[in-house]
Amino acid sequence: MMAAEDRGPWWRLIALLLVLILIAMDLLVWQFSGGTDVLDAFRDMMIGASLAFGLASLALLLVSLATLHRHMHWREQVFGLALFTGLGLSAAVWQLGDSISTLREQAGMLLVGLSAALAASGLVLGLLLALVTGRQHVADPLFDMHSTGGDVSLEIED
Amino acid sequence: MLSLTDPWVGFWLPLGLVCLSVGFWLTDREDPRRRLCLPFFLAAAVLLVLHGAKTQGGDAVETALLAVLLDMAGPVGLMAVGTLIATFAGPSPVGPLPKGLRSFGFLMAIGGLFWIGWMLVSEPPDARAHGIGETIWGAWVLVFLACVILVSAMGGSFCVMMGDARHKEGLALAVLTVVSGAMFVNIIREGSAGLDPAGWHDIYWQDISFIFGGLLGLVLAGIAFIGLVYIAEKRAPDPDVIAPLSEAEKAIVDAVLREHLGVGGEE
Repeated sequence: MMAAEDRGPWWRLIALLLVLILIAMDLLVWQFSGGTDVLDAFRDMMIGASLAFGLASLALLLVSLATLHRHMHWREQVFGLALFTGLGLSAAVWQLGDSISTLREQAGMLLVGLSAALAASGLVLGLLLALVTGRQHVADPLFDMHSTGGDVSLEIED
Repeated sequence: MLSLTDPWVGFWLPLGLVCLSVGFWLTDREDPRRRLCLPFFLAAAVLLVLHGAKTQGGDAVETALLAVLLDMAGPVGLMAVGTLIATFAGPSPVGPLPKGLRSFGFLMAIGGLFWIGWMLVSEPPDARAHGIGETIWGAWVLVFLACVILVSAMGGSFCVMMGDARHKEGLALAVLTVVSGAMFVNIIREGSAGLDPAGWHDIYWQDISFIFGGLLGLVLAGIAFIGLVYIAEKRAPDPDVIAPLSEAEKAIVDAVLREHLGVGGEE
């Protein structure tokens, strides 16, 4: 049996493979579409990041407010999340030209991406789980042993 | 005047209620707020359903989003149920199903993926035929395919790297990567029913970049939240020094030890 530690830094190879696939997908679309404005794409990415940061902080703030109790160090959590929400949403609104309707539209687009990513990850990891749990193993004799309830007797032979 | 057709009332308010419901659910079992979890969740569901019923697919982004999620519930549900059936029809010690259902479960899971492929080549319904509905549908499909390609490539290579003869699992995930990759290449080259290749390219460069940035923002928010909890814990005062046991407490400990171990606490 090959153990994971015998394989060296395996996660680097997997990360490299994923980066190569991402680059290949971009190059493919670039080839068929005739290119795009990279700065615009980067700007969209920054808007997405700040909006998602603000909305996720808002969701965490609501969850935190609903779970508040007297033993909790709530000040840092609540005030910090409120600050993050304000920063994220105001940065997104500023980048979107102060348009609340565009903000709503883009927030909806984020939910689309999140739901699609969750569905895809759930499908693949679920399939992997189904495949892995289907493996047949040699029966382990330890499973057939019964507990003595803590009563142990030892015979020492000279 | 507030109306259920207003997206702030019919869509974003229910999402806020769901967050509060999750928070109530996380409270202690004895906490009275725990009882509010279900009413808040049901109120959110009712508001969402009424909002969806009172608006049309092309009205606003929220309605188009609900329409696309409703459309995708079929294939995604088929995949989820198929995966669960395949898992529990295997040699599972927990809730085992008949062995014959295992291949049926895999067929259901793969059938869900082909269902999405069929939706790409068939004529779309009005809710996602044009405008924002079409963009949202396109973004959902592209993100789904990209994630299936990436996650299955990661899972398959992980199986191979871990060794222990996991070739069958690695091969199955490699096939999934290739099939999803073929669907991706096909819609980028040929387009789909109702959306030409140029439309898919626009969605890819504008919306997928935006959603990718959004995923980074989500991760960043998670890290920032962990940072806040860490700061709060670090600033918390040290717990007080616990006072030594009183004579009465020592007597109780002594009695317990004598009863169970037959020895004294203090000799």
